Amino acid sequence: MYKSVTIKRGKAGWGGPLTITPTDSRNKILCVTGGGIHPVAQKIAEMTGGIPVDGFSTGIPDEEVMVAVVNCGGTARCGVYPKKKIFTVNLTAVGKSGPLAQFMTEDIYVSDVTEDCITFADVEAVTASVKQVETIASQAKTKAQAREELAKMNAGKKKNIITRIGIGVGSVVNKFYQAGRETIDMVIKNILPFMAFVSMILGIISASGIGNIIAKTLSPLASTLPGMIGISIVCALPFISPVLGPGAVIAQVVGSLLGVEIGLGHIPPQYALPALFAINAQVGADFVPVGLSLGEAEPETIELGVPAVLYSRLITGPVAVIIAYISSMGLYS
Amino acid sequence: MEIIAALANSFIELFKAGAATFVSWVTGIIPLVIVLMTAVSAVIKLIGEDKVYSMAKTATKYTITRYTIVPILAVIFLANPMCYSFGRFVEEKYKPAFYDATVSFLHPVTGLFPHANGGELFVYMGIATGISNLGLPLGDLAVRYFFVGIVVILIRGVVTEKIYTMMKK
Repeated sequence: MYKSVTIKRGKAGWGGPLTITPTDSRNKILCVTGGGIHPVAQKIAEMTGGIPVDGFSTGIPDEEVMVAVVNCGGTARCGVYPKKKIFTVNLTAVGKSGPLAQFMTEDIYVSDVTEDCITFADVEAVTASVKQVETIASQAKTKAQAREELAKMNAGKKKNIITRIGIGVGSVVNKFYQAGRETIDMVIKNILPFMAFVSMILGIISASGIGNIIAKTLSPLASTLPGMIGISIVCALPFISPVLGPGAVIAQVVGSLLGVEIGLGHIPPQYALPALFAINAQVGADFVPVGLSLGEAEPETIELGVPAVLYSRLITGPVAVIIAYISSMGLYS
Repeated sequence: MEIIAALANSFIELFKAGAATFVSWVTGIIPLVIVLMTAVSAVIKLIGEDKVYSMAKTATKYTITRYTIVPILAVIFLANPMCYSFGRFVEEKYKPAFYDATVSFLHPVTGLFPHANGGELFVYMGIATGISNLGLPLGDLAVRYFFVGIVVILIRGVVTEKIYTMMKK
C-alpha cells in the first residue's frame, strides 16, 4: 500500500536526497506553509499513500509525522523539524542557516523542492506501480478520494485577499533576505579571506622594497602593447595555463599588483583594459573537464575538448589583448 | 634591549602597510559590493532562471548568439560555477567552444554584476583599485570591460569551435 519516494533538492537548494517510507504509525505529511495543503505536500501524499495534514489548522503528535513540508526563509521552521529528527522539505531555497543550523544535515533536510523533485525511490517501486496500471481504476479512485479530502480540508477557509497579499509580500521579502544572506556569506567566505591574504602580501612587498623591483620589471612590461601580448602568450601556453588557473588566484594577485602600480602612476591608466585580458588568458584552463561535464558533455568530447580550448587560447589570448588595446582608446585621456 | 625593541618595531612596520591596504579595501570596496550583489541577485531570484531557458535554447542555434547571448544569460542568471550547465542546451560538437566562451565571460561580468563571480572579484577589482586611487571614475572601465568581453568570447567560441572540428577529423 505505502510506497517510498526520493526527494531531491531543487536548483538552488541544499541537502538531500531524502528517501522516505510511510509506516502505519508514521504516515502523516505535515504541511506548514501558511494554511492549506501545498501541491508538493499533496504530491508526496499521493505518491506515498500517506495522509496530508494542514499544520496550521490541525495539531498532530510528532510521532505520527513522516515528513514536514515548510516554506521557511531560514530562521525557525527549517531548523525546528530537523531538531525533532523529522524529515524536512523546505520549498524555499535555504541552506544550513538560522539558530538551529547545526541540526540541519543533508540526511534529514532538503530545500528548494518543487513537484518535479519527487520520484519513486527505486526501480522496484516503479515497476510495482507499472504493474498496478492494471488495477488503475481502484488507484484512480484513491487519488480522487485524496483530492476530495483535500478539497474538503481547504474548503471553508479559502484564503482571503489579505492572506494572499501577505504571502506574496512575504515571498518577495524572503528572496531579498536570501540574496542578502548569500552576499554576506560570499563576503565572509571568499572576499574577506582573499583581501586578508593579498593585503598582507602587498604590504610586505611595499614595506620591504621588493615593490621597487616589481615596479622596475613588471611595470614597463605592462605599459607597452608587445609586453602585454608577451604576458598573454606566457599565460596561455598549454602546459602553463592549467597550473595558473585554479580559483583565478594568480590572476587576482597579479591584478592587485598591477592595480598598485597603476595607482602609483607607473602604468598609464588606459592600459588597465588590455592588462585585464593579458593577465587572464588562462581563465578556466584548469576547469575544462569539470565545466564540460556540468554541461553534460560526452567523455569523448571532454577528451578532445580540453586540448582544443588550451590551443585556442594561444590564438585568442593575444587577440583579446589587441582588441582591448584598440578599445581602450579615449579611456582616461 | 634596544636592538630587540627596534627589531620588533620594524617587524610590525612590515605589516602596517598591509593593514592600511586591508582597511581601505574593506571600507572602499565591500559596502558597495554587498549592496550591489544583494540587489542584483534578488532581482534575478525574482525573475527566476526558468524564464530564460527557452530563450537560451533558441539562441544556441546560431553561431553569433551561441557564443554571446547564451553565455551572458548563463553567467548572469546562474553565476559561477552553475553557468556551465547551460551547455546541455548546446549541440555536442559545440560544447567545448561554449565552455570557452562562458568561462571567459566570468571576469568581464564582474565590473557590472559582481554577484556572478563573487569569489574571483579581484582580477577586475585589483586593477580597478589603482584607477580609483588616481581619482578616476570606474564606470567607463567597467562598461568597456563588459563589451570587449562580449567580443572576446565570440572570437574564443568561433576559434575553439574550428580547432575542435579540426581535431575531431
